[in-house]
Amino acid sequence: MSTVLQSLSSELADAVQSAGGAVVAIHARRRIPASGVHWRPGVVVATNHTISRDENITVTLPDGTTAPASLAGRDPGTDLAVLKLAGQSFPTASLRPETPPKVGELVIALGRPGPSLTASWGVVSGVDGPWRTWQGAEIDTLLRLDLAIYDGFSGGPLIDGAGRVLGINTSALARGVPVTIPVATVERAVSELLERGSIRRAYLGIGTQPVRVPESLVRKLELKVDVALLIVSVAPGGPADRDGWLLGDVLLELDGAAVSDPTDILAKLGGDRVGRPLAARVIRGGQVKMLQVTPGERPKSRAA
Amino acid sequence: MTASLLAAAGLARELAAAVDQLRRITVQVRAHGAATGAGILWTGGESEGRGLVITNAHVVRGDRATIELSDGTAARGRVVARDLKRDLAALEFEPTSATPSAAVRDSPPLRVGDLVIAIGHPGGLVGAVALGIIHGAESPREGRTARWIRADVRLAPGFSGGPLADATGRLVGVNTMTHGSLALAVPAAAVEAWVRRSHALVAS
Repeated sequence: MSTVLQSLSSELADAVQSAGGAVVAIHARRRIPASGVHWRPGVVVATNHTISRDENITVTLPDGTTAPASLAGRDPGTDLAVLKLAGQSFPTASLRPETPPKVGELVIALGRPGPSLTASWGVVSGVDGPWRTWQGAEIDTLLRLDLAIYDGFSGGPLIDGAGRVLGINTSALARGVPVTIPVATVERAVSELLERGSIRRAYLGIGTQPVRVPESLVRKLELKVDVALLIVSVAPGGPADRDGWLLGDVLLELDGAAVSDPTDILAKLGGDRVGRPLAARVIRGGQVKMLQVTPGERPKSRAA
Repeated sequence: MTASLLAAAGLARELAAAVDQLRRITVQVRAHGAATGAGILWTGGESEGRGLVITNAHVVRGDRATIELSDGTAARGRVVARDLKRDLAALEFEPTSATPSAAVRDSPPLRVGDLVIAIGHPGGLVGAVALGIIHGAESPREGRTARWIRADVRLAPGFSGGPLADATGRLVGVNTMTHGSLALAVPAAAVEAWVRRSHALVAS
């Protein structure tokens, strides 16, 4: 009778079933467990915010058995964590890294907040270029979803109609709104977390806010831009503090590029910048002044 | 491109046909003059010549309610069985013409990701449709059916007591409550068993 509808229904259920074979429950916090994905043999990807302890972590496998897992690394910036499982053989997720999701594409979010698999469906509502999380991690693609995310879904995969993984879902990067961390970003984070246990990011120890520079000052100092970043906090003992930066300095340029948004600073602070001095142009006391700062390594789970 | 557009057109047509069929077995249940929910036309069973409607117990709090069929005809319904624990009620009415009744899905078991269609009357909008998927399969205990069917489908008040059906229009549950954007439905098998038991009670 209804053949297209029926086959769509069974294709969706097939996709859920095949992808669900690589989705596990992560027991690393109180109350409801969260989800994780068997990404590479013996390596499970989960979300950082759903792991509240470093030890006594267990994982419920798709067959219902429980296995111990060890935390190999975690990164608040991407909200990803990597766990290792020993001696378990079950399928790893089939990934779709090459074709990015399209707006309007039918997608399913999977979770395993307990022994059984759960699913919700919807569409990709927005695809945008690279973006930065509030803790400075660069995510390759901004994927916004029109679907409901339920308790314990964080760490679960977003899959396409063929059951291939498009990324890892989390509710912790955009004020509770679900976003998907795309496969390419996850791959990079997994490799670095397995190697180092954390993701290195350079850090200045300042808080800033965009301000409009008065026109008279723009003319007097012959500035090319009229928006700059006012330094509103300086972490005591942090890199900027050590190098003599002051509260109230107005940052015009960092490493030769104009800055008008806090993310412009983060763009200069990749992991390879740690220990390599950056030049800065600031307004201090009505005068343009050149400063230097040697970025340190970002302390774990701290903003700014 | 053309092939996929044709498939999409086929999908839309089949969905409309399945919805049409489901609307015919969905009634409005009105108590105290106001529409309070939906109901499902059920196979009469032992009560010959009588129509049977299944709805939620919270939809009909009194003994009587008006049943309005999809063709606009109304009949007076009398509550013949009620189960507060399962939130089910059965009403009998005298149909003026032959009425269709719900076809229940017996097998195969629902899988997570299967499409589901819900019909209800939210905010007085008669015969509204919501489309979703099965959210999770509660692992049934030995010899017992699961207590709820959990579906990822956005329902509003007015869907209570109405049908949740599969992609072929066969009934899988009675929409009963929501939990966030999750819909909970009493499984059709549990309703069937309850109807058989209550009829035996009424007959004896």
